[in-house]
This record gives sequence, structure tokens and C-alpha cells, in this order.
Amino acid sequence: MGAGLAMPLGSVLLAFVLGAIICLVTGADPIAAYTGLLCGGVGLGCTQGENSALQISNTIVFFIPLVTAGVAVALPFRAGLFNIGAEGQLIAGAVACTAIGVQFQDLPTPVLLPMVLIGGMAAGAIWAGIAGVLKATVGAHEVVTTIMLNYVAQWLLRYMIIGGPLQLGEGTSTSKPIGAGAHIATVFPAGNAIIFGLPSSVYRVHWGLAVSLLAAAAFAFLLWRTSFGYEIRAVGQSQKAARYAGVSVRRTIIFTMLIAGGFAGLAGAVQVAGVDHNLTDKYFYDTTGFDAIAVALLGLGSAVGIIFASLLFGALHSGGAIMQSDAGISSNLVLVLQALILFSIAANFVGEIRRILPFGRAKPTEAIPPEMPPAAGLMSGPPASVEDEVK
Amino acid sequence: MSALGDVGQLLLTANLWQAVLAAAVLLLLPALGGVISERSGVVNIAMEGMMLTGAFFAVVADLAWHNAWLATGVAMIAGALMASIHAIVSIRFRADQIVSGIAINIFAAGLTVFLVNRIYGLQDIGHVGPTEGLPYITIHGLDQIPFIGQVVFDQNVVVYIALILLVAIHLLLFRTRLGLRIRAVGEHPMAADTAGINVYLIRYSCVIASGLLSGLAGAFLAIGISNTFVPNMTDGRGYIALAAMIFGKWTPFGAFIACLIFGLGQAIYDNNSAIHISPYLLSMLPYILTLVVLAGLVGRSTPPAADGLPYTAGSE
Repeated sequence: MGAGLAMPLGSVLLAFVLGAIICLVTGADPIAAYTGLLCGGVGLGCTQGENSALQISNTIVFFIPLVTAGVAVALPFRAGLFNIGAEGQLIAGAVACTAIGVQFQDLPTPVLLPMVLIGGMAAGAIWAGIAGVLKATVGAHEVVTTIMLNYVAQWLLRYMIIGGPLQLGEGTSTSKPIGAGAHIATVFPAGNAIIFGLPSSVYRVHWGLAVSLLAAAAFAFLLWRTSFGYEIRAVGQSQKAARYAGVSVRRTIIFTMLIAGGFAGLAGAVQVAGVDHNLTDKYFYDTTGFDAIAVALLGLGSAVGIIFASLLFGALHSGGAIMQSDAGISSNLVLVLQALILFSIAANFVGEIRRILPFGRAKPTEAIPPEMPPAAGLMSGPPASVEDEVK
Repeated sequence: MSALGDVGQLLLTANLWQAVLAAAVLLLLPALGGVISERSGVVNIAMEGMMLTGAFFAVVADLAWHNAWLATGVAMIAGALMASIHAIVSIRFRADQIVSGIAINIFAAGLTVFLVNRIYGLQDIGHVGPTEGLPYITIHGLDQIPFIGQVVFDQNVVVYIALILLVAIHLLLFRTRLGLRIRAVGEHPMAADTAGINVYLIRYSCVIASGLLSGLAGAFLAIGISNTFVPNMTDGRGYIALAAMIFGKWTPFGAFIACLIFGLGQAIYDNNSAIHISPYLLSMLPYILTLVVLAGLVGRSTPPAADGLPYTAGSE
């Protein structure tokens, strides 16, 4: 347990130390920066009288899609697949959700809300399924195909809202709004009732929170309590052994990607239904699907880990805005921290440091966690790589 | 008038093909970097970040010293420094090269805008510049050739440099001992090691070369084409270069042909007022074409055998 947590916690700590050094070198005050992050992230230590509850609400709004998209990256990891395409799948889900929510805008909530969420999942599943089928049939590496599909989704989104069928009106770059029946309710009822010192309508936290926690639970259940979850893990450990055990590797790859894409598409649909209620160019620049890679890695591919990692990254994103306004330090420091965390996890700097320290206890063989896919056979391997794992 | 007819009209103008070549070169430089890096066995999806870093530091240096050539050198060094992070993490620490590449891209996106704020006091959407640009050079005599003259011999200096590098890197990889060693390291590092080739040295050099080339592309973008730095101005070009590398089956000239096709899409996009098709649908084309290639519909695209596999001397 202790050794298992040292890597993620140490990586975060190391990233903050390196981030502070970058601040110092560039003449920024790291204490002011991190105070701003703390305030904007969890509502503690605010210097400008910010409302703590509002900060926590903002963090949860970031947290919700991170969990669901994090699952969309973590599940394929377990099968030895690297889904870089959560972003494209999320956008596909957001576009489908909006299209359905606009087309059937007069339907009541009990009908329309399930429709937009299922529609978003289906769109995400198709998007990831393309990569899954290409991997399983011709061996095209999912890293490359999902990167390409990300860009196809981004431009499709832009087409839809600028000149395409969802455009609000000539000259705009937003979509028509989805029907009220497709909205996910906010946790605090809309109105002017004062909650935690502010009108309740300022809190954007919505019941998509329940959806994302259910997604994390479903992920854990699928992985550990179903035969398909066993097949996913078997394929991730060794395709050859899985095949001897009677598992269809091709089928597992395709269904893993379909399910993962469903989660990512759900994240996009929930974001539209719960927060924005329409599509804007903001989704073109969205990075949730890439943040999800950091979430899945930092969370060591477990449901609980994903939740904690999403809290961290949600707090960092929310905190970045306050850091920028209070301390005058660009919120892009958050991206720097995120990259440093990724470097640290990927290279296992923590293990290296523990090895060098005289009191370090790490064994020399302590390697990358098993959740990481082997960086083998990248790009499009020959079709045989699906059948005969190179070892 | 039909959209197809409009495109047909556009395709007959030398102006368009001049723009196609410039757009292609912008993709070719990082694509060549990718070819070199992956031929040596290190997967590189970090061209986007290295290019962005180069673009930023080109503008910083240009504004400080008012010398575009010096700025280009600084951009290449900045790209190489980013590349050496990828090299150290991937080769020394045997990290997952995809994760490292993603981290480089995120790092570059964050760091450049963070530094825009620190150095120039601008907020996140600030444009930095204008700068002294890299010169456009008309080659007198040759530019008189009808059509071709304007397309090829009336270009930014970086275009000529890139075309020379294209030939040089092709010859290096396929006609020299060093090129053979690079390819051996990428196909079968243990055999190469046994034959006395320094696998680590070759891999470090090749990854750093990809940074130099991507940094040059960043300089071309920032102080050759735009004369300004805008946050995230590479706008996915590093990833299109990655697509071009795969499309071109890990060869310099193959990548160049892919870059020309993708550059054509870009040039038509930039001239979209002349046609009646959504530029956003056109923008999907490079990626869809690459998916088609990966699907095996236009021949197989197979990477070097040891691409992405860390190597430890003495291991089996």
C-alpha cells in the first residue's frame, strides 16, 4: 500500500517542487501561485475574500467530466491499449447530445435526457470503435488512429456550429440551444435563494456528478466482477496467454474500445446537458480528454485512484483562474504542473530518487506500474501483432 | 458554380501552388524529424510541442536581438532542448514514449503561454511581435520559368533550406554508413549493439535532430510566415506532420508527398473564399486520408521493428 501510493503522491510533490523552481527562475512568487491554486481549488487560504463554496463548486464542475473521461482511458490501459482519443470521443458525444437535444427540443425530460445521454455514448462508442476495429482487423495502432480521430472530431464540431446544421444563425459560432428537457439539473435549485452566502444560481455544480461517480463504479464492477473484465485484463497481461485461455483477442479489443468510447462520449454529453446547454468553439479547445490521460496514469488505473486524480486536476483547473486573477500568474502554470506529473510518472522519477537516496527502500527492479501499456509495437504493427504478441 | 469547379479554377493558379509548397515545408521539417527519430527506434509524437517551443523562442530572440538568423538558431536550440527531455526520459529512464510525447506537448503549450505572461506581462491571448522576418528570396533567372518559377523559386529562405534537408536526410538514411546504423538501431538494436554500434548515442542524436528540425519549423512559422507569436499557434501541425510521416511510410520523400497533399488542403482552406465548400470539412482531410492509409487501403505502412521499444545494453 505504502509503496503503491509513493509513486503517484511523490510525482505530484515533485511536480510542485519543480513548478516552484520554474516560478522562481521566471520571477514569479511560487507561494502566491500555490496560495491562489489552493484558494481556487478547494476554497482555503483565499486572500481576496473569494467564496469557498463557489470554488469547490467550480472544482466539482471540472471533476465531473474528468472522472468519466479518465475511465475511458483507464479501461483500455487494462487491455494494453492506449486511448489517446478520449478527446475526440468526448467531442463526438457532445455533438450527438446537442444534435439530439436540438432536434427533439420539445420532448419532456424523462424521454429527452436519456436520449441525449445514450446518443452521446453511442457517438463516442462509434468514434472509439473505429480505432478498435482498425486495431483488431488490420493492426493499425490505436495511438495513431485515435490522434487522427481527435482532429476529425474537432473539425466536425467546428463545421457543425459554423456553417453546418447546428449553427444558431448566420455569423455565429455557437449551436442552437438544446431543449430544456435535455438539461441535467443543478444541485442547488436555480433562483435567488442565498446558499453559502451567494445566490444559488451561481453554483454550476450539477447532478452529472452522480453520473460520473456511477461511471467510476461501473468501471470497477466491469473490470473486477464480470467475465468480460477478466478478458480485458487477460488480454492486457498477455494476448498469447489470453488466446490459450479461449479469449477472443480481437473481440475484446473492439468491445473495450466501444465501451471506453461510450464513457468518453457520456462525459461530453453530460458537459453539454449539465453545464453549457449548447456547443461553442470552447469545445474545439477543450483538453479534458488529454487531462484524462494524466488522470488515468496518476490514478494507477483504479476507480478510486481516478476519483482522487480527477479531484486534483479539477482543483488545479479551477484554481488556475484564481491564481491568475489574484497573483497575476498565468493559469498555464497548471499545464506545466500537469506535464511534470506525467514526466515523473512515465519515467518513474520517484523510484529513481528512492534508489539513489541512502535510506531509499525501492528495489532496483521497481518498474513502471502494470497499468501502463508496454510501449511495444507502437504505430501500425503488422496484423500478426494482434495474434502473436512480440516478446 | 459548383464547389468542384471552383477548386478546379483554384488549382490552375501559381499562387495556390506557391502557398502549397510553403505549407508543405512547414509540415515537412517536423515530419523529417519524426522520420529520423522513429528510424532510430524512438517514437516521437512531440513534434507539436517542440515546434511550438521553437516558434516562441524565435520570437523572443528576434525581439531581443533583431536578427532573424540568430533567432532561428535559438529556436532550433530550444526545440533540441525539448527533444532532449524526451530523449532522456525515453532512453535513460525507459519511459513510455507516448506518455513522454504527450507530456512534452502539454509542457510546451503551458510553458510558452506562462512565459508570454512572465516576459511580456501579457495575458493568455496576447500576440507577441511584430518581428524581423526571415527573408523571402527570389532566385533570379529561374523565377522566369513559367508557373514553376513562381511556385518554387520565389519562396521564403526556409523553403530552400528544407528542400536541401529533404535530399540530404534521404541520402543520409539510405546512402551512408551512418544511415545504415540508424536504421539498424531502429530495426534490431541488439544486433546493432553486437556489431559495435552505440545504440544510445545514435538514439539521443536522432531525437535531438528531430528537435532541431521541429524548432526550425517553429521559427519558419513564427518569424517567417506570421511575424508574431500567438498561444498554441502550431495548431496541430506537429500532429499532421506525424500523420505525414506515417502516410509516407517513414521515408523522407514519402513524407514530402504526404506534406504536399496536406499542404494542398491547407492552401485551399486559406483560399476558401474562392470556393463554396466548408473549410472545416476540408481540414479533416489529412486525418481521414491517414486513417485510410492505416486501414491498409493504400498499401501497408509498417514502422521500424524496434520503434518504441526501450533498449538496455546487455538485456536479452
